[in-house]
Amino acid sequence: MSEAELDFAVFGSSPLAGLIAGLLASRHKRSVFIVGDAQARYRLPRTLDMSVAPITRPETWALLKACLPDISKLVTRIGGRHALRRVDPIFFADGPAAREALGHFSHMARAHGMILETVPPAKIGVDRTALRINDAVTIHRPGFEPAMEAWLGESGVRRLAPEAATMAPGGATAIKAGEEMLIARRAILVDDSAILRSLPGWQWPAQLLRQPHATILTASSRHLAGPIMMQLDSGTILVQHEEGGMAAMGPGGLSAFSGRLATLLAETGQLQQVGQVGYEILMPNDGAPLLGPVASDGPLILTGLGPIGAFLAPALARWLAGEASDDEAEWCEARRPDKRGLGRSVAEFNSRIEEQAA
Amino acid sequence: MRPQTNRLPATTGKGLAGAHIDRTRPIRFTINGRVTPGFQGDTVLSALLAAGVDTIGTHAGQPLGLRAGAAPAIAYAAKASLPEHALPMERTPARDGAEYRIVAEGPTAGLFARLFQPGRTLGLALDTPNSLVRPWRSIRGEKAEPTDLVVVGGGVAGMAAALAGAHAGLKVKLIEASPHLGGHSGLFGTQDGESTPEENIAALTAEIAVNSTITVLTHAEVFAIGEGVVRVHQLDISGERVESRVVDLPARHIVLATGAFERLPVLPGNRLPGIAGAQEAFELAYRYGIWPGQSWLLATSANPAYRLATLLAESNINLDRILDGRDQASSRYIEFCKAYGFRQFPGTIPLAVMPGAGGRLSVELPHGEPVAVDRLVLCGGWQPDLTLWHLAGGESRWNMRRERLEPLGEVPGLVLAGSAAGHFTRRGCVTSGIHAVDRLLGRPGQGVDDPVIDAFYETPDRQMYVGDSEDAPAPTYLDADNTLMLRPAPPPRRRWTQIFRGSHTGPVRVLSEAPQPLSIGAICAGVSIGLIPPDSAGVVAQERVALVPLTAVVPPQQTTAEYSIGAPPYLADRFGHDAVVATLRHDPSRQLGSGALIFEGEDTLDPRRAVGVVLRTRNGKTEALVAASVRDAVVRDLGQAVPAEVET
Repeated sequence: MSEAELDFAVFGSSPLAGLIAGLLASRHKRSVFIVGDAQARYRLPRTLDMSVAPITRPETWALLKACLPDISKLVTRIGGRHALRRVDPIFFADGPAAREALGHFSHMARAHGMILETVPPAKIGVDRTALRINDAVTIHRPGFEPAMEAWLGESGVRRLAPEAATMAPGGATAIKAGEEMLIARRAILVDDSAILRSLPGWQWPAQLLRQPHATILTASSRHLAGPIMMQLDSGTILVQHEEGGMAAMGPGGLSAFSGRLATLLAETGQLQQVGQVGYEILMPNDGAPLLGPVASDGPLILTGLGPIGAFLAPALARWLAGEASDDEAEWCEARRPDKRGLGRSVAEFNSRIEEQAA
Repeated sequence: MRPQTNRLPATTGKGLAGAHIDRTRPIRFTINGRVTPGFQGDTVLSALLAAGVDTIGTHAGQPLGLRAGAAPAIAYAAKASLPEHALPMERTPARDGAEYRIVAEGPTAGLFARLFQPGRTLGLALDTPNSLVRPWRSIRGEKAEPTDLVVVGGGVAGMAAALAGAHAGLKVKLIEASPHLGGHSGLFGTQDGESTPEENIAALTAEIAVNSTITVLTHAEVFAIGEGVVRVHQLDISGERVESRVVDLPARHIVLATGAFERLPVLPGNRLPGIAGAQEAFELAYRYGIWPGQSWLLATSANPAYRLATLLAESNINLDRILDGRDQASSRYIEFCKAYGFRQFPGTIPLAVMPGAGGRLSVELPHGEPVAVDRLVLCGGWQPDLTLWHLAGGESRWNMRRERLEPLGEVPGLVLAGSAAGHFTRRGCVTSGIHAVDRLLGRPGQGVDDPVIDAFYETPDRQMYVGDSEDAPAPTYLDADNTLMLRPAPPPRRRWTQIFRGSHTGPVRVLSEAPQPLSIGAICAGVSIGLIPPDSAGVVAQERVALVPLTAVVPPQQTTAEYSIGAPPYLADRFGHDAVVATLRHDPSRQLGSGALIFEGEDTLDPRRAVGVVLRTRNGKTEALVAASVRDAVVRDLGQAVPAEVET
């Protein structure tokens, strides 16, 4: 069996994983393969990619703002106009803590040039605070994924099945591809499912919590007040599909989330579940991203980035390639698992939900 | 009133004269004002089909066939607005003198259209999503008395399981959706040394009838399942009017003997009126003596469909030809068909079906001119019905050799039996019904004896599909069910004229966003045409089943009390380690919002240079988190600068 050594193996099937792999290969001339299945066209979504999120740290906003023009151009170049959609998402809050967080988020968004407007109670429900953010963008995963596959291929990134991969000491990984054994000097675990599948228990960072989560696809007779809505109290995200359905993603097991959703959407008429899946997501205990190597010689992880992760891909790729600017390097280094708690806190807003330590 | 044009003569042989109808007892009823004749024993659907009404309405610009898997709900005219009174026309016995109305989402035909609609159609406009709703699915079930064993499905496997349960001393409820026990084994004929399906079914039915520990619920469909409970939509046919109710039936043990269903071949025009599956066509003829038209064409990729041709061989209905998607299929039924002299075209499938002249179908073939026939029987092979299995949390995986989804693993308190469990022969189904009960009771039992004939003699089923084409002449459906799932289309080119068009009603672009559940048939079709990788078929089937939550979860109440004092964790270190929560003194006419940033001077706007942030207003005071050294500050709130003093 022949052996080939490469620089990186990126584990994941999300746009973030694909963009990181493709950017490392195309811009930074690293040899890369990606491990995971492209599933957005037939599996239910577990997360979404959007250029805004309830982030409260100004340095994160600044990094996002700096990356946005580049990544928007790149996604459009790869996937065409259908891949990147302009949306006006609504962020809303019911409880006092979430209303406060919405206030912090809205001031931070305005300070970074976003235009926000209050959504009237007639559209969103009484006793609820809601803000619509104008001109955000979202990556339409099912539309982007096939184009991303082609781009990865053009960039020399091979996609391999996760079953064939094994973690090796020093953060490396070995993967069997037919008669060939590929060794990547550095494994980068990007998606939650990839981390859950591939990160050995003894390398698990103490800051990383597992949380039950669910996605429910519904057919509803009425449309939502906005194309994307996020409830800050629970972290529930609602996405209105062009075809008429609505996908909801949020915390809790399937039956608990189903009950919560029925309550949340009581005013939108009868909901018919047409798809559902329960799974685990990962959440750093302070709500901030965890970026970097785990344990002393484990693989790299990129997690806790939330909806904005894919929009930070250029900066993350530069950092992984050792070509980041000072600001980018400082932002990433402050979020390393091994430096968490040693320096200044980088905590971000985190929905108030029950947590289960890993 | 339309005559019963599609009823076979009472003298039709081979058991195709209608075993369930009494031709000496004619009835008539109205549906949306249309007078429809029938016979005692007909369902509302079978009477409509017998009278030549074979079209539900239009969907995606084409007429859509009326069939058991996709028929609108009905209700008695006086009760049509209430979901609890909705009835499935395929399960509801037609009653003389009844006045029914159709219950469907979306626009229905107006009075004028109803009066003057063409005779074949019910006239529904079906482009509203989920237009063929089953209203009872949203009704919470009444709790029924618990029982020991619930058997879902009254075919030979279910009947055998019910009897095995009764013999083991269990109190059994046997639930069957159709009006009669027996299931779908009739088409499959007999293997050497076996009794006929009819004899076998009659014997099992008679044994069940005299067993007092088995309660049979016919006209009852299980549509949801949870741990130790099934939710049933049950018709009460004992009174003058048929009534319905939804019942939650608790059971210690559950056997799912839900059978197998026939897959719809994936080709343009596959749901036009006049198209039926082989099993559906057989059962309409066998149970109700229905066969529309005088000519037909059979396109199949499975052997049992050939038996239908042999059963009809001596009728006056002309079989134009048999197409088989397999190149070199072998079967005793294929040999019988050769003996009858039917023209057979192996390795050939229809490319598309179009409405033809005179209400006929025009079947486009790979070679030669299109063929015009009254009826097209399309058979894409059989697939175990794992819908309830998936609803119960069961897993499945794609079998590449058999080209079908098969169950995997176990679900506590629940066992599959019969063809739902993947068995092929009638003997296999009967023994698996008995074995299912043994497994539930922890007994070793005799195992399953499923004497499958070698593939050399009986070629396995294949799926039937045609490649994607941008200029398909008619819509292509992925399944024959009521979700009306169309083959996904490539993204359209955006044109400025789109702003004048209404909402999109054509095919979905991707399966993952389709606003309808994906039936197992649609999953199989998705695998065949490359939309779903075979390895993911099982998990997609589990994800996209139409789950009805059986337990109401009460969400936690929102707390409205004062929730915190101090700064939230996400502001930690934002303004230095020594930042303090302080009160701001400012113009009392201004209330400052949470999150408003505090600066040391008026000229600063960069949030990274903020020295504090407003937390909240409590008891008329503005609380803020500020760097320890700050005394005089400017608060930036919605574009305005508000001077403030920090009180520590």
